[in-house]
Amino acid sequence: MIAMQRVMQSNVSASAATTNCYGGLSSCKGEEVMISDQFPAGLRVLVVDDDITCLRILEQMLCRCLYIVTTCSQAKVALGLLRERKGCFDVILSDVYMPDMDGYKLLEHVGLEMDLPVIMMSADGRTSAVMKGIRHGACDYLIKPVREEELKNIWQHVVRKKFNGNKELEHSGSLDDADMHKQGNDDAEYASSVNDATNASLKPLKKRSNTKEDDDGEIDNDDPSTSKKPRVVWSVELHQQFVSAVNLLGIDKAVPKRILELMNVPGLTRENVASHLQKFRLYLKRISGVTQQGGISNPLCGPGESNVKIGLLGRFNIQALAASGQIPPQSLAALHAELLGQPTGNLATAMDQPALLQASLQEPKCIQLDHGVTFVQPLVKCEYSSFKHFPQSCAPVEDVTSGFRAWPFNNICRAGPGNNGGLSSQNGNILIDLLQQNQQLQKPQQQSTVPDLRPSINVQPSCHVAPSQSSASFQVGNSPVSVTQNGSFSRTSVIDYSLLSSQSNCSSLSIGQDSDANLQTTGDLSGYIPPASVSPYVSSCPVNVENCASQQVQASSMTFKTSRNLPGFVHSTSNNQDPYGSTKTGDLLDQAPFNNLGYINKGTCLPARFPVGEFQSPLSSSSLGKVFSENIGTRMKQEPNMEFGDSAKVGIPMLLQFPQNDLTTVFTE
Amino acid sequence: MNFAKNRTVSTVPAAKTGLPVWMMGLVADRLRADANRLLAFLFNQGILDEQFLQLQQLRDESSPNFVSEVVNIHFHESEKLLRNLRSLLMDREFSGYNKMGIHLNQFMGSSSSIGAKRIRNACFAFRAASEQNSRAGCLRALELLEHDYCFLKNKLHELFQIQQQRVLAAGARYPMQN
Repeated sequence: MIAMQRVMQSNVSASAATTNCYGGLSSCKGEEVMISDQFPAGLRVLVVDDDITCLRILEQMLCRCLYIVTTCSQAKVALGLLRERKGCFDVILSDVYMPDMDGYKLLEHVGLEMDLPVIMMSADGRTSAVMKGIRHGACDYLIKPVREEELKNIWQHVVRKKFNGNKELEHSGSLDDADMHKQGNDDAEYASSVNDATNASLKPLKKRSNTKEDDDGEIDNDDPSTSKKPRVVWSVELHQQFVSAVNLLGIDKAVPKRILELMNVPGLTRENVASHLQKFRLYLKRISGVTQQGGISNPLCGPGESNVKIGLLGRFNIQALAASGQIPPQSLAALHAELLGQPTGNLATAMDQPALLQASLQEPKCIQLDHGVTFVQPLVKCEYSSFKHFPQSCAPVEDVTSGFRAWPFNNICRAGPGNNGGLSSQNGNILIDLLQQNQQLQKPQQQSTVPDLRPSINVQPSCHVAPSQSSASFQVGNSPVSVTQNGSFSRTSVIDYSLLSSQSNCSSLSIGQDSDANLQTTGDLSGYIPPASVSPYVSSCPVNVENCASQQVQASSMTFKTSRNLPGFVHSTSNNQDPYGSTKTGDLLDQAPFNNLGYINKGTCLPARFPVGEFQSPLSSSSLGKVFSENIGTRMKQEPNMEFGDSAKVGIPMLLQFPQNDLTTVFTE
Repeated sequence: MNFAKNRTVSTVPAAKTGLPVWMMGLVADRLRADANRLLAFLFNQGILDEQFLQLQQLRDESSPNFVSEVVNIHFHESEKLLRNLRSLLMDREFSGYNKMGIHLNQFMGSSSSIGAKRIRNACFAFRAASEQNSRAGCLRALELLEHDYCFLKNKLHELFQIQQQRVLAAGARYPMQN
C-alpha cells in the first residue's frame, strides 16, 4: 500500500497540475482488496484546487493518512476524470474559488452524476461562505490552512453517505435492487467493482439491518456488478429514462410514483426516484437561476421569445439566430419547452420546424420530430451527461451549456407521438444546426435511415453562432466531422462545442486533431448511424432554424470528426474567424463538452456532449482521441487513449468539426 | 533535522571543507543554533505559525525537501498573484474588486497553507479595504503585503541556506555516512 502510494506520489508532479490517472486507476483496482482490511486507508481521494501550493501540501498530507490521492488543478479536467473513471474515487476535496469553474458547480455536477461526497475548502472562513457551501450540498467545509487531523477524518463522509444510501435501499425490494444495480452498472465501467470494494470495506461499519439485502448480495456472487449495492447508481441511461418520464409528465406534475411507472425499470424504487427527483429539481432551479442572471428571460416564456432559449442554446446563438430570423419563434419556443420539460403537447405545436436530425427510429424511445428528427435513446443518455457537463467555463458557452443541460430532459421524452417534433435536445441539436449550414435538408419526416439523413444535416452557423455569421461561415475547424459508426469513423467525432459557444462567432468545434476538412458524407454516415439514429443529436439543435423546414437534420450527413484533442483542449487552431474558434474552445469545450460531444454510439446520435465515462460509442477506434489532450496545455496527465471503442463506455467527447467549406457537400446526397 | 546530532568530534578523516574535523562539530552546532534562532524569531514575531511546523513534519524519506519545495512553489505563485493585484489596482480603469478578490483569496489560501501568519493577516486587511471599496486602503494594504512577503521570503531563504549548510557540514563531517 505504501509502495503504491509512493508510486502515486511520484506520478503526480507538484508543478503542473497533473492528475494521476494511471495511478488512480491502478490503485483503484489494486486497492480493492486491501480496502476492507485497512479502511480508511486506501480511500481514494480526488483533490481539485487551482493553488498548486495547497495541492502539493494536501497531497502530502493525504498520503500520510494512507489515502490514495489524485490531484488536479482544473475543475473541468477533474470532472472529466470523474466521469471517465466512475467509481474510482471515494471522496472529492475541492476548492471553492477556481478560475475555470466554480467549485459549487463542480459540486453540483458531482452530486448529480456521481453522488460522491464532496468536501469544499477555502481560505474564506466567513460564516456566509461556509453557509453557502452547506447549502449547496457539500459534505463538509474546510478552512485553509487545512490540517492533517482534519483530513484524517474525511472518511466519515464516505461512510455516512453509504449508510444513508443503504437506508434508502432498505425499503426497496432487495432482489429488485440487485437487478437494478446490475442494469445500472452496465454502463458504469468501474462502478460496480469499485463499489463492491468500497462496500465490502464498509460492511463492517454499516449496520445492515436488512439482512435480506445482504443475502441477495451474496447470492449474486458470480457477478460482482450485481452484488448488493447500497445505493442506486444513476447511470446516464437511467437518468435519461428518468428525464423522459419527467418530461412526459411535465416537470410540475412529475411525481415519483408515476415517474417510476413510466420508467419501468425493475428494481428501482419510489424512494430512489424521489430523491433523484429532488436533486433534479434543485438542479433545474439552479440553472434557471443562472440563465436568468444573464438577463435572459425565463425560458419558460412562451413561444416567440427567442431570447428565452438563450439559456439553452447560449444566449449568443439564440439571439443570433433570432436576429437572423432563422429560427422560427416556434422552434425556439419549442425548444424552450423541450428544455424545460413542458408537456409534450406544447412541443408538438411548437415544433414543426426545426430540422432535426432524423434518426432512424430504432430505439423505442426515439423521439421523432416532425421532421424526422428522432430522438434516440442513447442520445438521451448523452444528454444526461451533457447536461451535466455544462459547467461553463466560458461565458458564452455558459449559456449554451446550460441550455443544453436542460434539453436532455425534455427531448428525451418525446417518445410519444412520432412526429412530435421532439427535439433531441442534446447538444446534438445545436450541432446539427451547425451542420446544417445551409440547411435545409428539407426532408420532412424522414424517419428513415441513415442515408436519408445525410443530406439533411445542415449546419447553419448562423443559427447558432454569432448573428453575424453567415451560414457559410460555418466552419468548424478543420477537421470535418465524420461520423462513422463503428469502424467507419474516419475521425472521431468531435462535436466542437465551440460552435455552440459564441466565442468567436463560431467557435470552432474543432477539437479534433484531424484537420482534414472533408466532410465525408454518406459513406461515413451510414456507417455511422447506429441503429438508433444518431442524428437526433445533431438535429436537436433547436437552432435548426432553417432546417426547420427540412428537418431532417440528417445526422448521418454529419460527419464528425472526433478529434483527439478533445476536451476542451481543442487544439484548435485558429480561433478566430473560424466559426468554431478553437482557442477558446479550449475553454469552452472543456467543460464537459467533450464528454458529451460525440456520443457516437449505437443508437445515439452524435451527442454533443457526453460525459466521458458514459459515452458508449460504436465509434471506432478512430479514437475520439484523447479526451484530455495535452496540447491545449491542460495540465492533466491523461491517459492517452480515450478511444471510442465500439463497446467503449468511455465517454469520449466528440467534437464535430465542420469543415469550413461547405457543409452542404456533406449533406449532399 | 536529523543531521549532526552527534556532537562528538569524529575521528574520520578531515572534512572536505578544509577545516579541521574538530571544528566541524562546532560549525554544525552553530548552524543548527542559527536555524533554531531564526525560526524562533519568526514564530515570535508572528510571521510564521504552527502550520509551518506541520509542513516540516510532512517531510519524509520520499520527499526530503518537501518544505523548501512547497515554499518555493508558494513564492513562485505568490509573485504572480501580487503582480496581478498590483496591476489591477493600478489600472487606470479600475474594474472592480471582484477580480482582486479572487486573486486575494488564492493568495490568502496559499499563504496560510505554508503558515505565513502575518501575510495572512495582511490579506484580511486587504479584503476589508476592498469590501469598503477603498482603493487607497487597498493600495496601502497591498504595500504592506508586498513588504511582508519580501521579508518572509528573505528569511525563509536564509533558513534554507542554513539547512543546506548543515547538510553539507554533516556530510563533510561524516563522509562515510550519509
